[in-house]
Amino acid sequence: MSQTKYCRYMNEVARRREPSLLRELFSMQVEAPDDAVFLMAGMPSPDTFPLVEGSLTLRDGRTLTLSPKKMVDCLQYGPTPGYPPLLKQLKDLTKRLHGPPTWQDSEVVVTTGSQSGLLMAMEMMMSPNDYVIIEEPCYTGAISILAPYSPRYLPVKTDSEGMIPGSLEAALSRWRPQDAEDAHSDIPKFIYTIPTACNPTGAVTSEKRRREIYKIACEYNLLILEDDPYYFLQFMDEENFPPSYLKLDTEGRVLRFDSFSKIIAAGLRVGWVTGPQPLIRKISLHKGASVISSASMSQVVVSELLEMWGDEGLKNHVREVRLFYRSQRDAMLLAAERHLSGLCEWSAPAGGMFLWIKAGCISDTWSMVLERAMKKKVMVVPGHGFLTDSAKACQYLRLSFSANTPLNMEKGLCSLAQLIREEIELQNTHQLLQKKG
Amino acid sequence: MVLGVENKIKLDVNDTALSLPRIRLVSAPLLRGRMDYSRFLSTNAKTRKPSWITQLRSYLANPSSDILWLAGGHPDASLFPFKETTITLKNGQEIHLNQDLMATSLQYGPIEGHTPLLKYLADLTQKLHSPPRWSETRQLVTVGGQDGMAKAFVMLTDPGDYVVVPEPCYAGIFSELTSLNPHYLPVEEDEEGMRSDLLRSALARWKSEIGETHSEKRLKFMYTNPSGSNPSGTNMSEKRRREIYALACEYDFLILEDDAYYFLQFQDDFPPSFLSLDTEGRVLRFDSFSKTVSAGLRVGYVTGPEFLVEKISQHIMATVMGGSSLSQVLVTELFHMWGLEGFLRHVKEVRDMYRRRRDAALSAAEKHLTGLCEWRKPGGGMFLWLKVPKVKDTQAMLLERGTKKSILLVPGNGFTTRPELPCQYMRASYSTVLPEEMDKAFQILAEVIRDEIQLNNEVK
Repeated sequence: MSQTKYCRYMNEVARRREPSLLRELFSMQVEAPDDAVFLMAGMPSPDTFPLVEGSLTLRDGRTLTLSPKKMVDCLQYGPTPGYPPLLKQLKDLTKRLHGPPTWQDSEVVVTTGSQSGLLMAMEMMMSPNDYVIIEEPCYTGAISILAPYSPRYLPVKTDSEGMIPGSLEAALSRWRPQDAEDAHSDIPKFIYTIPTACNPTGAVTSEKRRREIYKIACEYNLLILEDDPYYFLQFMDEENFPPSYLKLDTEGRVLRFDSFSKIIAAGLRVGWVTGPQPLIRKISLHKGASVISSASMSQVVVSELLEMWGDEGLKNHVREVRLFYRSQRDAMLLAAERHLSGLCEWSAPAGGMFLWIKAGCISDTWSMVLERAMKKKVMVVPGHGFLTDSAKACQYLRLSFSANTPLNMEKGLCSLAQLIREEIELQNTHQLLQKKG
Repeated sequence: MVLGVENKIKLDVNDTALSLPRIRLVSAPLLRGRMDYSRFLSTNAKTRKPSWITQLRSYLANPSSDILWLAGGHPDASLFPFKETTITLKNGQEIHLNQDLMATSLQYGPIEGHTPLLKYLADLTQKLHSPPRWSETRQLVTVGGQDGMAKAFVMLTDPGDYVVVPEPCYAGIFSELTSLNPHYLPVEEDEEGMRSDLLRSALARWKSEIGETHSEKRLKFMYTNPSGSNPSGTNMSEKRRREIYALACEYDFLILEDDAYYFLQFQDDFPPSFLSLDTEGRVLRFDSFSKTVSAGLRVGYVTGPEFLVEKISQHIMATVMGGSSLSQVLVTELFHMWGLEGFLRHVKEVRDMYRRRRDAALSAAEKHLTGLCEWRKPGGGMFLWLKVPKVKDTQAMLLERGTKKSILLVPGNGFTTRPELPCQYMRASYSTVLPEEMDKAFQILAEVIRDEIQLNNEVK
């Protein structure tokens, strides 16, 4: 796609964003010769920073050292796009894993967790009352970002193979593909999806489906926001991972959101966005105007860790993480089979941390969870928040198999089964009373 | 009755007498009822709701520890690769993050910020500012002070709204605010800070020409950077602060107090902050650790009326979600180690260092730039704001010709609401420059300016 074509996706606020001379000058300073006397950066003096050096002990016994020089990097403002060594590592990693077809026209920016990248991307594009294509059920965090724009949702149905292309086509049926050329058309700008181990369903969109969906996106000139924080938490072997949308992106329409939150540390807030240069530039401008730079120390620590591990080390670590979550999933499925058979339906999640179950005999899980679950000493999430209309009745529940022992899962599901049985009783009694009354 | 202490407080820490800013006596009758803040909100903010998960959490408050929690969305911390951390301080002491603290540092934290940190921030804020409406005040940790401001701008500004800004104004503000398309009411300053007389006449003129409608609030807020302001280094006097606060009440606008350089005021007796004068609940105050502890940790905080801070937190929930836990844990550990007194001792040392650098910059300026530039002595902060009367526009001089001589100051036009107009000002930063470097720099700068004047004459 040509540079100018990306204007279609930008709202008024994004178009008005301009490069800040201060941030530009900052980058100049970083690249300047040593004898240049720069008097411009509003950088505080490192002499005032009280922390001098440090070391982190890893679980495997090794030590990661933060020398005084590295500590200054940790404590000083960094360039907006990201701590340069980390940025390079992330670019190399992304290229290695996804081999994006339009790599030479792509850019990467580090973000304070992938959620902030997602927000900046959506806020770059959304205008009030825009139509939004989003899979359902979907991640509640995306709904939080979109809510202030009072969007008109076009939810796309999903199953255990992910987003259903036929449903996507139906959602787009009120427009013709050429409507994207019309500046006054209300045709949507993007499709939002979590193609790997979708939160909450755990479904991994198959390769076949991804190719069909990408084709539809090309036809209607839509961007694809590929939110992939569970990429490394797919339970199949790496060789069998379906290609990411970024990997399929021959036309430069994918913005991909990666995260270290599930594999290295959520609290460090390190994620990154990859996509077409004009869009990443706008996102960087937003970042520069808000957080200025992501936490330098977090970035330095992640960078040093990746350096210490090398490609092999990262591969081994994510394998360990994958095997862990897979065994957790297996324990959860075992417990579910034991206690919830006949009461609920579910598909085995192909990745991630969650089990999405349908309590088919219950018309709505909301009050069961919020009013009665605590007494049974078990807590789960009712499915409503994962729908574009959380006021609708919902029969689903989301269970997490992260941070719980198999024994606790057993106990938890046993209690949950009781809760559901009692709820059915309650429902029947209620219906009987209604009939009599 | 909200109490303050009228006289200067002197804190004797070892042999160092540390003065705390004077805190004013404020009596209850001056406190009006709670404002209706919804009038100030942008459409974006009005439509923003708490996240569904947050709402869920409020139903599930105080679960007992024997509940089997299958409701979390947190990744399993056992897989996070780091176990412990040790950080050495300048004075040789160590901060040690044991496994528990490390686990906290590596996991998602509360949206409003690390709880022990918020406790210190509350104590510090009460000690320094004694906000008159403290019981209705709330605080949030933000990813640097600027992110709090960016979120406040989005919360308050609809296209066409009116906002008051100082002239000159911190350029970083325009990055976020201009894209929201407000009308600016810029007000000039003198050595005491923003001119309250000019503010009054600007507001009076605005009122007669535009004014508010019945249904829509148009004049939303004033942005101010009242201590060691960026770029001019001005400290706003107490008199001006009171006059301006009175105008805010009269014309009904909020005050966004960006006080990143609060501790870098070079006088011993600080004027009261807008927060400490805030009897009506109009002030959103943005503090930062960037100039005193670390810029790269990205830790700042916002203090203000509950209603408005809650809105900001809803936006934060959808984006950075509480910022780096590791950064916040480290700042907290520093507070544990130092206590508030130790922290205030530290910032005094920081201030003294910047004051020495300011003095070196002024010496160098007097030596090399007399006759070429005009400037006022900075009362705080990190910058020297220079005017070059014989040069029409500093931009080309600096970006094209200055860089060739390996020197670069920031052209002043970016600090105005009309950057397309020629500007005779430029900003020099003395924060990281040693005295001898400063001398050399201004020597070169003088050459650049003389060359430029020559160039202009030749063109004529």
